[in-house]
Amino acid sequence: MNATSAKGLQVSTPTDTTIVLTRTFNAPLRFVWEAMFTPEKMRRWMLPPPGWTVTVCECDARVGGALKLAWKSEEADPAMTLEGVFTEVVLHERIVHTETMALGSGQTIGSLVEKHEFAEKGGVTTMRITQTYDSKEARDGAIASGMDQGMEAGYKQLDAVLAQPA
Amino acid sequence: MVLDCSPKLDVVFHALAHPARRAIIRQLSGGERNLSELASPLRMTFPAATKHVRVLEGAKLVRRRIAGRQHLCRLHAAPLKEAMLWTEQFRRNWEARFKVLDSLLDEMKSEEQSRSRRR
Repeated sequence: MNATSAKGLQVSTPTDTTIVLTRTFNAPLRFVWEAMFTPEKMRRWMLPPPGWTVTVCECDARVGGALKLAWKSEEADPAMTLEGVFTEVVLHERIVHTETMALGSGQTIGSLVEKHEFAEKGGVTTMRITQTYDSKEARDGAIASGMDQGMEAGYKQLDAVLAQPA
Repeated sequence: MVLDCSPKLDVVFHALAHPARRAIIRQLSGGERNLSELASPLRMTFPAATKHVRVLEGAKLVRRRIAGRQHLCRLHAAPLKEAMLWTEQFRRNWEARFKVLDSLLDEMKSEEQSRSRRR
């Protein structure tokens, strides 16, 4: 793993029910940890979809502690909620929490277990998030949910790949 | 939703999982080819190449037409495009947030620096 400079996000799907996100940050681990699990900081970067606002942001990063997020839209308050419980916390190393998303109506739209692993080298922090979904369908749905945006950019990228010599 | 009318991504990924089939796709990205044109650069027998082409046909990545004694293959890239885009938008959505997080982390670093300077 190259930990000497910050790199863009990498996404992989090593099994049918998982998504792995790997990202490096040009900052010490304690800052990344604070930004990830402190409500005041989470609100700063966990941007809601356009037209939505964050109404609830609670994060008690201790074993048994709760994670709660809620968003409202112009049509609904809440439009969506996310609730989870921390099941494992090793300070500045790893953290595992459950997560259930629901629509404003209360209808559950998927649950997963999210594991965060951290490592710091030379002031650069690598974070790996492993999301494990209940089923392949739930995993595919999570990925597909954003696919209707930005298609054109993706097509251009593919054209470039196909244009490369073998 | 794009996914509803396209072959299962599983089938597309399986089709792409073999280097010979990826080589066939590359060749076809240059235009229509007959089966022997596809087989020879792969140093592959005609039946072996045909087998790979069938897998690609099953994934709707390749279309075959028969012209006289020739079987002409051409690329049908739509399912491939969807497969490649598959995680891309998910990635972009998260990367956009992480870019904001980068700025927040920069801010946290400079705040600490100015605090330590004041001491």
